[in-house]
Amino acid sequence: MKASSVPQHTEGHRWLPQFCSLPTLFAVVVVAELVVIVLALAPGKTFTAAVEELAIATVFVQWLALLNVVVLCSMRDALERLSVRNGFLVAWALAVATTALGSMVVHAMDAALGFGLVARHIPAWRFVLSNAAICALIAAALLRYLFVRELWQERVRAAAKAQVDALQARIRPHFLFNSMNTIASLIRTRPVEAERTVEDLSDLFRAALGAREGMATLGEELDLVGHYLRIEGLRLGDRLAVVLDVDTLPRELPLPPLLLQPLVENAVYHGIQRMPDGGTLSISGTRHAGQVEIVVRNPYPQSEARPGNAHALANVRSRIEYHFGARGALLVEPARTEFVVRVRLPYGSP
Amino acid sequence: MKTLVVDDEPLARERLVALLSEFADVDVVGEAGHGIAALEAAERLRPDLVLLDIRMPGMDGLEAARHLGTFTPAPALVFCTAYDDHALAAFDANAVDYLLKPIRSERLRAALDRARRFGRETLDAVIADESPRRERTHLCARVRGNLVLVAVADVDFLLAEDKYVIVHYSGGEVLIEEPLRALEVEFDKRFVRIHRNCLVALDKLGGLTRTPDGRVLAKLDRVATPLEVSRRNLPALRKMVRSL
Repeated sequence: MKASSVPQHTEGHRWLPQFCSLPTLFAVVVVAELVVIVLALAPGKTFTAAVEELAIATVFVQWLALLNVVVLCSMRDALERLSVRNGFLVAWALAVATTALGSMVVHAMDAALGFGLVARHIPAWRFVLSNAAICALIAAALLRYLFVRELWQERVRAAAKAQVDALQARIRPHFLFNSMNTIASLIRTRPVEAERTVEDLSDLFRAALGAREGMATLGEELDLVGHYLRIEGLRLGDRLAVVLDVDTLPRELPLPPLLLQPLVENAVYHGIQRMPDGGTLSISGTRHAGQVEIVVRNPYPQSEARPGNAHALANVRSRIEYHFGARGALLVEPARTEFVVRVRLPYGSP
Repeated sequence: MKTLVVDDEPLARERLVALLSEFADVDVVGEAGHGIAALEAAERLRPDLVLLDIRMPGMDGLEAARHLGTFTPAPALVFCTAYDDHALAAFDANAVDYLLKPIRSERLRAALDRARRFGRETLDAVIADESPRRERTHLCARVRGNLVLVAVADVDFLLAEDKYVIVHYSGGEVLIEEPLRALEVEFDKRFVRIHRNCLVALDKLGGLTRTPDGRVLAKLDRVATPLEVSRRNLPALRKMVRSL
């Protein structure tokens, strides 16, 4: 189940459903039971006979269905190596063969033990054949359904992945050029600070250009935020005051890179920077049972109709959703004079 | 050439001033951190040239440029920006010069030469191109020769009288030389016409009353005497008040 939460398969490779997964198992069980019920409902039987048949057939058919699932599940890797068409045919043939074999065994056992569960007047070959035929029809339809569903899910996953890739946090071009201007300015008078700004800027761009794959840690992210704020502090001078309270946060917590920096950048661009007298940006972190909460707050000019960049917020929100599902959240509190963004991330055992 | 440097970033100003110090005929007389401070400084220092950042808090560079256009004599103007602003692309490239940050000394020299040649043509181009497109945040008036900036948000109503418009605002009243019609178009979301000669701030409108002789009056929150609503403007006003 773990593998399905992070799509790592390329298109076309994963055309067969995960038979051992609960949704597929459930679908198979339901369809099998439907077949049994349809057969029991067929006219020309007394009520007691129908109920009796329903009971016995349910046991038999569910056993067969589960047997099929187990066979297909264990053969999945081998099947996936075939082409889609051949794999589909082989899977279908496997299901029919399993059913035929199972029917044969059941018929033989019934006859040997004398339970009489299988009607006596039906010869073994007819029992096996009709079961195999029913299975052939149902399996074809069911496999087709599962195949289409898998394809659709794969597409949804691919779309989500593409979206998340596209969401990969970008740095505003303004920031680059403003920072360059800051550096140009510092080189004459304060070369040491100019040097440090180049280092800070490099770290930010390394993260933004996606130089490192996979997850970062909260500690790395907080360092990046620190670098970012140091550059903006130089640029905005005493208009930017920062209050940081993040010492209790677990630095080892894994999170996608550049998850917090865009929120802080938002706070600077849409808040502090637009106030002629500046303001205080505060970042605080708390650790609760099972989750951490990081709060970014900033004042914003009253003339702004809509504080904050809705796009950047939506971007971070979808990335949280993608990586943490319902266990993470991004909450925006529209207050009168302050813009508050809360990020909740799962931490430790859920 | 008396020059005023306007940028909200102290380091950006520092660098520009350092670059300008290499030009013998340029004399940096002042610096400002935002549009309103720039206008106040320009009023006081009467610069020949203003180097103006586009993105600034409060009043931005484009609006400050429009107000600088009301100065006599008006200074020459060069915009500075960190990134190609769409706002600039719309201007007539012949008249409006702008520098991209970090600014190169050679580029700055060329811009200064142009500024000397074009003078206030730049400002006229900004005013012509910019005025129909964006709302100003402030109205610029002169009281006995002194600059008065009135935040549009503080305005209660605008009353046309002869060639002037009287701006009634929280701090009193001032005259501006702009046609009422142009103000109505520019601030169409903020003001509503209640009479041939009067625009009222929608958010200051307290309610409508009818006098015994059938006239309709508009009450404004901060204004003691109600203003008369003309028969012609009444239906549109009613509709607007209801939709608030």
